[in-house]
Amino acid sequence: MSAPQIVFDDVSKFYGDVLGVNRVTLNIPPGITSLVGPNGSGKTTLMNLIAGLIRPDRGTVRVRGISPEDPEHLMRVLGYATQYDAAPRGMTGLDFVAMALMLHGMSESDANKHAWQALDRVNLTDAAKRKVGAYSKGMRQRVRLAQALAHEPDVLVLDEPLNGLDPLVRAETIASFREYADQGRHVLLSSHVLQEVDVFSDQVILIANGAIMAEGEIRSVRDEIKEHPSQYLLRCRDTARVAALLFGEVDVNEVKVLEDGSGLLVMTRNRDGLASALAGIALSGIEIDGVIPADENVDALYEYLIGGGR
Amino acid sequence: MSFSTELRQIGVIARLELRRAFLSKRSFWVYLLALFPAVIFIGHAVEVHVRQQRWSRQAMASPAVIDRLQRGMSYREVIRATGEPLRDFEWERRSRDDEFEYKMRHVLVFDGRRRTDLTFRNDLLESIRTRPLASLDEDRQVFAGVFQFFFLRVGVFFGCLGIFLNLFRGEMLDKTLHFWLLAPARREVLLLGKYASGLIASSVIFTLSALLCFTALLWAQDPVEVQQYWAAGAGHELSRYLLAAVLGCVGYGSVFLAAGLLVRNPIVPIVLVLFWEGINGFLPSMLQKVSVLFYLQSVCPTPAPIEADTPALVRLILSPAAPVPVYGAVLGLLGLTGVVLWAASRVVRKIEIDYATD
Repeated sequence: MSAPQIVFDDVSKFYGDVLGVNRVTLNIPPGITSLVGPNGSGKTTLMNLIAGLIRPDRGTVRVRGISPEDPEHLMRVLGYATQYDAAPRGMTGLDFVAMALMLHGMSESDANKHAWQALDRVNLTDAAKRKVGAYSKGMRQRVRLAQALAHEPDVLVLDEPLNGLDPLVRAETIASFREYADQGRHVLLSSHVLQEVDVFSDQVILIANGAIMAEGEIRSVRDEIKEHPSQYLLRCRDTARVAALLFGEVDVNEVKVLEDGSGLLVMTRNRDGLASALAGIALSGIEIDGVIPADENVDALYEYLIGGGR
Repeated sequence: MSFSTELRQIGVIARLELRRAFLSKRSFWVYLLALFPAVIFIGHAVEVHVRQQRWSRQAMASPAVIDRLQRGMSYREVIRATGEPLRDFEWERRSRDDEFEYKMRHVLVFDGRRRTDLTFRNDLLESIRTRPLASLDEDRQVFAGVFQFFFLRVGVFFGCLGIFLNLFRGEMLDKTLHFWLLAPARREVLLLGKYASGLIASSVIFTLSALLCFTALLWAQDPVEVQQYWAAGAGHELSRYLLAAVLGCVGYGSVFLAAGLLVRNPIVPIVLVLFWEGINGFLPSMLQKVSVLFYLQSVCPTPAPIEADTPALVRLILSPAAPVPVYGAVLGLLGLTGVVLWAASRVVRKIEIDYATD
């Protein structure tokens, strides 16, 4: 049986005359999926569609087989840390998490117990009894995260969850996402910190102007971008000789010597061809210290597919 | 999801929302509105008690003596019997040519409970008017008027507007509605939970206010008269007023809850509902039943007094439509509320977060 997915089937959403997302079709498997796109590209719209906070004008959304129009079932398997900063007036951090749990049917004491645990996961127990209105931006971010995590949902939807977190909590949070995803759950998040997304994402969805530009594992997305040759960083001592040898290869489009002379930047449209060429060079006795893909990351994908302006 | 789980969710939502409904800064003026009639009745009662104490200290005649006073008695005979009066004021009536016609005198005596106004013409007692400091019948009429014209039409109406309109609209303005929409509850359950919180808050505020007004009304009266009134069914009358206050919250609450889901500008529903309730008297009997006020008037125990010289148009607006039996009024209002809440549930199912988009 295939893993449960989040499915968008030809989904469009308009806010009056303004486009939210247009004809989006997606199958998001379990694991960590990052939504990447500039402001106003439709990331939050996609997340709100998943959570049923907005309804599609066209098409359907299913979250692990559940329709977002069925909140009593959906919200039991979904936790959503929204970008919206406000909490109902007068609520403390503990209330904010515990009261949501009480709506899940927990008794007050159970809800408080689980709320403490969730707040502990985001290092917010010290401020648990302070009003959310008095929290800093980072603390609000964490309390929303705690609320989304508290009922251990199968689908975690997180809008810019790493914003405002200090490095330690950020690392712990990313580790907890990884742990979550490894249990076969969905973690869908949006982020502007592309380097981080690279590190922890199983797959990415690149979105611009309400349209999906690319989706899938970073490497396979990179492979789909034919108009930009793949870039590799070659670490070697004898850069001039290696460069001369590579120029003779048909699969190599361009070779640049790095400014510090520590290696080469090689561009190719045939990764396998380059690999065999490098193997040949190495076998001839020339030392190559390492080969690193230079543009198999979200930053490069973003640049190729969406361009600047993020 | 089972019915009992949904009931529990309604309870949790209502509990969470109660603090907001009672203590929302946005609807704090509701308390002032609810307390206003109570201030009037308490003020009246205090004034009666203060006057009674002051007059009792100043000069008090025997009730038996006052009861024996008869028209035609001379001023001297009256003063000899009653003792020093509280007020004694004399004036002359003159013709246009400034010729003396007759002498008038007003004397006020007090027996500790009743005030008696005596009018003398040329020193002969012409009229005797005895009445208690506070008249229960009169005050009950005033209460009926204040309750129907102010309490229900203004207090409960605008109070429910302040409380119920904000249940969804206020969350939208505060950008906190998503908190509720992310709960694992049907939207209808959310609607009922919020409605229950508004209903509890408004009912507590307005029944307490009505109770305070009624208590103040009785406090101003003579204790013996109050006892007789209580024995004659004051409790029943009070319960009808309290029922009307609660039903007012039930009816107007549902209307303004639905309005808060439909519109952003509260002025529109206020004007529309106010207009509809205002023209109720002009409407055919079938349409009169689509009005909260129609049922509330039928629940009130005493018809509101309308002065004889009230203009016809105002009289038409204020006069109640043909009343229906109390049980019919209760069922009718609950039916009307059910229809409004059903319509609101259709809207709430489709409600979307639109306070920010990316």
